[in-house]
Amino acid sequence: MHNDELDSLLRTSSEDEITPSSGFAASVMEAVRSEAALPSPIKFPWLRALPGMLAVVLAAGVGTYLVATQAAGAAASPAWLNWQDALARAPVAGLGTAMIWSCSALLFSYLSVKLSMRFATRRA
Amino acid sequence: MQPFPGGGGRTGKREGATHVSPSEDQADVERVLAGETSAFEGLVRRWQSPLINLAYRFCRDRGRAEEMAQEAFLRAYRALDKWRRDAAFSTWLFALAMNVYRTELRRIPAHVPLEDIAEPKDERAEDGGLEQRDRERAVRAAVGALPMKYREVMVLFYFHEMEVAAAAKSLGLPEGTVKARLSRGRDILRDKLPRVFHPQLKPAAAQVKEA
Repeated sequence: MHNDELDSLLRTSSEDEITPSSGFAASVMEAVRSEAALPSPIKFPWLRALPGMLAVVLAAGVGTYLVATQAAGAAASPAWLNWQDALARAPVAGLGTAMIWSCSALLFSYLSVKLSMRFATRRA
Repeated sequence: MQPFPGGGGRTGKREGATHVSPSEDQADVERVLAGETSAFEGLVRRWQSPLINLAYRFCRDRGRAEEMAQEAFLRAYRALDKWRRDAAFSTWLFALAMNVYRTELRRIPAHVPLEDIAEPKDERAEDGGLEQRDRERAVRAAVGALPMKYREVMVLFYFHEMEVAAAAKSLGLPEGTVKARLSRGRDILRDKLPRVFHPQLKPAAAQVKEA
């Protein structure tokens, strides 16, 4: 069978059109009006969130840098010197690092809570 | 860009919005965007018939077709500000509707598996040939049972009378892909419905009887 024959058979196979129900347009408009009556969705406050996001990125960067520097320093020292040295300084260095991270976490939590409360009170 | 005439007709045989002026659509869209929600009704009234018929050609269920068309209009209302004026409103609306229909039709299996389609019987045709109406019914059923990617291009091109370019835009596909799918769809139909496309072939029962 040639394409032309098949084409014409397919074209003539299209059915008659159906007519929309009488209430179709009204039904659509009712749905549209309900949609229009809804409050517009709250957009994410990118501008306000930017400082916080920058702080997180900065903290992550600093953290990565510190870890990388410590790892590089450890690799450069002889192993016997390294473990003795590390053992001697461990309590002090560990305490210092932990304090820095704890303070950062507390500060970050405090800022998050303050910002959230500020947004919440403004919206209310 | 060329708007679809009344929803994409090649032959002018189209439903509903036959004499749609693009400026009417644009004016209504501007009014809706300015806050006049009721202006959307003009768009609905102009395009309800093409959209419902397009959905009907896919799902073969009037109620479901209207539901799908309503969902398409609702999505169009939500996204009205995303219509770029470089494309005709109808082009944008049909592309959006096709997206809605495709998503919806993924949930609906083809009504009849192609293998299960019985070849139509026609007692009046003694020579094993089929009456035109039976052939058309068989072809529609076969198209409806094609895998979705072939069905959608066949429906848009043959039943909704869209040009290849318009169908490609509505489906978000390159024209070459649409042409390839049309060709493959025709091949599948030829394989599955040999008696419809080759009326000279006699039904198996008749051949056995003759032997």
